[in-house]
Amino acid sequence: MTIAHSEEALKTLMLLSLDGDEAAYRRLLNALRVLLVGYYSRRMSAATRADMEDLVQETLLALHSRRATYDRNRPFTSWFFSIARYKLIDHHRGRGGRMMAEVELGEDFESGFSEDAVTARMDVERLLDSLPAKQQEIIRQVKLEGQSVADTASRTGQSESAVKVGIHRGLKALAEKLRGET
Amino acid sequence: MKRTDDIIDSLVKDLKPVAPRTLERRLALDLVVTLAVSLLLMLTILGLRVDMNEALMLPVFWIKSAYNALLAVVALLAVYHLARPDGSEGRFFVLIAVIFLAMAVAAAIQLMMSPGETYRVLILGSSALHCPFLIFAFALPVLAGNILWLRRAAPTDLRLTGLIAGIAAGAAGAWVYSWFCTENGMPFVLIWYSLGILMTGLIGALIGPRLLRW
Repeated sequence: MTIAHSEEALKTLMLLSLDGDEAAYRRLLNALRVLLVGYYSRRMSAATRADMEDLVQETLLALHSRRATYDRNRPFTSWFFSIARYKLIDHHRGRGGRMMAEVELGEDFESGFSEDAVTARMDVERLLDSLPAKQQEIIRQVKLEGQSVADTASRTGQSESAVKVGIHRGLKALAEKLRGET
Repeated sequence: MKRTDDIIDSLVKDLKPVAPRTLERRLALDLVVTLAVSLLLMLTILGLRVDMNEALMLPVFWIKSAYNALLAVVALLAVYHLARPDGSEGRFFVLIAVIFLAMAVAAAIQLMMSPGETYRVLILGSSALHCPFLIFAFALPVLAGNILWLRRAAPTDLRLTGLIAGIAAGAAGAWVYSWFCTENGMPFVLIWYSLGILMTGLIGALIGPRLLRW
C-alpha cells in the first residue's frame, strides 16, 4: 500500500475532488476505503463483520452525497471519521440497537475517537507500510484488529509460531525505526 | 451485493465540482424564501398591529423584536454548525440562557415600575391563550425550510439538531408575529412568546430523528 494516509495528503485530495478532479477523487476513495476497513474492524464484533463491507460502501456513498458539508478550512479526517462514526451508530441502531452497540459506543467511542487517535492510527499505518507485506498483514490482524494468533495463522496459512515470530520481528523493526527517527 | 470497486467507479463518474460556500448559500436562500412566506402569511391573514405608528416609538416594541431576533440568530448559527458531521452546538445553551435572563430582567423592571392593577395586562394581556399557537403557525414555513436544508446536510445529533432548528424557526415565527401582536408587557413576551418558541423546538426534536436521518 503506497497511498499516503496523512491528514495533509487526504485533505489535498479532498480539495481537488471538490473542484472536480476525478483522478484525485479515485485516489481519495481508495485510500479512505482502506482506512475505513481498519476503523470498522476494530469497532465491530466478529458477528457483525459480515456487514463491514456494506458499511464501508455506505460511508463512501455518504461522503459523496454530503461532500458539500466539508468546510475547506477545517481538518478533513475529523470530518470524514465523524461520518464513519455516524454510519456505525446508525447501523447498530438499524438493527434494533443491540446491547453490544451500546457497550461499544460507551467505552470505545468517546475515548477512542479523537483526531489524535486518528492521526496516531495513520502514523501506525505509515510505519507499517515500511515492513514486508507478510509482517504488515499479521501485525494488523493481531495487534490492531485484535484477532487471535490461531485465527491469523490459519488465515495466512502459517504456523502459529511463525506468526508469533513474524510479529515479534516486525515490532522490533518498528521500534528500531522509531528510535532512529528520534 | 455490489462490489466496493464498482461503487467507487460510479462515484467517480458522478463527481461534479462543489462551489465553496454551497451550504451557506442554500441556507441563506432558504431563509429568505421561508421568512418572506411567513411574513406574507402574517400580513394577509392578520395584518400589521393596529397601532403600528405609535408602537414604533415604544421601547417595548423593539425589545420584543430584538428578543426574538436574537434568539433566532443564535439558534440558526448553532444549527449551521450542527449541520456538519464534525460540528457542535457550541455555546448555544449558554447564550440562549443569557438572552432569556436579560428578558426576565426587563420584565421584572417593567413590573416594578408599574402599579399592581396593571399586572394582569402585562402578564396575561388579551391574547395569552392563542399567542403561542400563532407563533407556532408562523414558524412552520421556517421550520420546513430548516428541515429541508438539513436534509441535504449531514447532522449527526438528530434530536439536538431538530430541537435547535425548531427553536430557530419558533423565534423567527415569533419575530414575524411580533409585528401584529399588540401586547406591550415584557412578562407577556417572556412567558407566552418563549412558550411558542419552545413548542416549536419540541416539535423539531420530535421530528428530527425521523426526518434528518441520512
